[in-house]
Amino acid sequence: MRRINTARGVYLLRLGSKLEATEDTVGLTIVLERADGVERVALRCLIPAGRLSDDERGNPEKIEPRLENWLQSGFEQIREAALRSIRSDRRLWEARFIDAPGPFRVA
Amino acid sequence: MSLQFIPPDVNIDFVGKRYFFVAASTVINIAAILLLVLVGLNYGVDFAGGSIVQVRFSQATDSNHIRGALAPLGLGDITVQDFGNVGHEYLIRFAKVHDIPNLGRALGETLDKAGYQAQVMRVETVGAKVGRDLRTDALEALVFATILMGAYIAFQFRHVSWSFGAGAVIALIHDVLVVTGALVISQLQFDLTTLAALLTVIGYSVHDTIIVSDRIREDAAKRRREDLATVMNRAINETLSRTLLTSGTAITVLIALLALGGPILHPPAFTLLVGFITGTYSSIYIAGPVVLFWEGAGRGRKPLSRAA
Repeated sequence: MRRINTARGVYLLRLGSKLEATEDTVGLTIVLERADGVERVALRCLIPAGRLSDDERGNPEKIEPRLENWLQSGFEQIREAALRSIRSDRRLWEARFIDAPGPFRVA
Repeated sequence: MSLQFIPPDVNIDFVGKRYFFVAASTVINIAAILLLVLVGLNYGVDFAGGSIVQVRFSQATDSNHIRGALAPLGLGDITVQDFGNVGHEYLIRFAKVHDIPNLGRALGETLDKAGYQAQVMRVETVGAKVGRDLRTDALEALVFATILMGAYIAFQFRHVSWSFGAGAVIALIHDVLVVTGALVISQLQFDLTTLAALLTVIGYSVHDTIIVSDRIREDAAKRRREDLATVMNRAINETLSRTLLTSGTAITVLIALLALGGPILHPPAFTLLVGFITGTYSSIYIAGPVVLFWEGAGRGRKPLSRAA
């Protein structure tokens, strides 16, 4: 679990599922919850398999630091997209790091 | 050959039937006020305060089982609503959140203990005070929008009659009351999205009123010896095709949105649909007659002599 300071207060980043690996990608559900518990939103991350180290694949908590900076810098847009997708499309928003690897640029 | 929806020489006596329609609208408006006071709107979390939780279950379940599973948390009155995925997805609403610091986790753990494989996708909480403040802000937004638009129209149409502003304001109040009355009857949720739809209705309705009023201003300048009632009826007939085509296309889209848009879009789509219908009606049967009553032209006492 990691703490992320945002304009909306402190949010806690948690893993919401085990890794779901396919041949090319690794899927992971993460949960952002405000520290006082008044808001919680889940979203999915789709990461190219080759961008994760063996250590990260074996221990998904080690992926959290990579996501922390990404979440911190784009928090408002990510939170809004995740909430809108759940409210309107009734499915988790999927952040795809395949074409634009972002925090997974370096394997 | 061009397609004509309404013949160009159509002459329906809208103004002559104004007493009946104004009386009917007055009755509907009084009924809407009574409904608002006696029954009230079904305020969403935004305005009422409380929490809304969206949960997805891996196996289908029903609302009674979910209520039973959450009973240990002591959430008080909770509403469990199937969210359109046949037993797999639910919206859970409740007002009492004070003593639960990590609501999402507590809900997830409680459902786990009850044997569910559930994913808490979303938790949103609004405090009771914030809800009350938002309600006050919403009312102020509606009142200011209505008054300012009325003042603007009164100024723009001052050369014909200052009463156009009063006509527009009364038409807007009529529309807001009819829509809120429909929301009370349907008990659809009134949240910030529904409020945005209601403000959109005000914008649409005033736009429709301006189209008719602008034609009245043009015709009044051309036919200075005719009384205002005749000028007004002609203007309404001349703009009828435009009014029905514009409203018709918008209403068709809204019916599609209402039918296919899913549960989240039901309240705003319903609000817009009722509002666009009543907005079109009020431009013809409320805004105009108010001007006539104001000017006394309906009884032929005051032929129109001023125009832009």
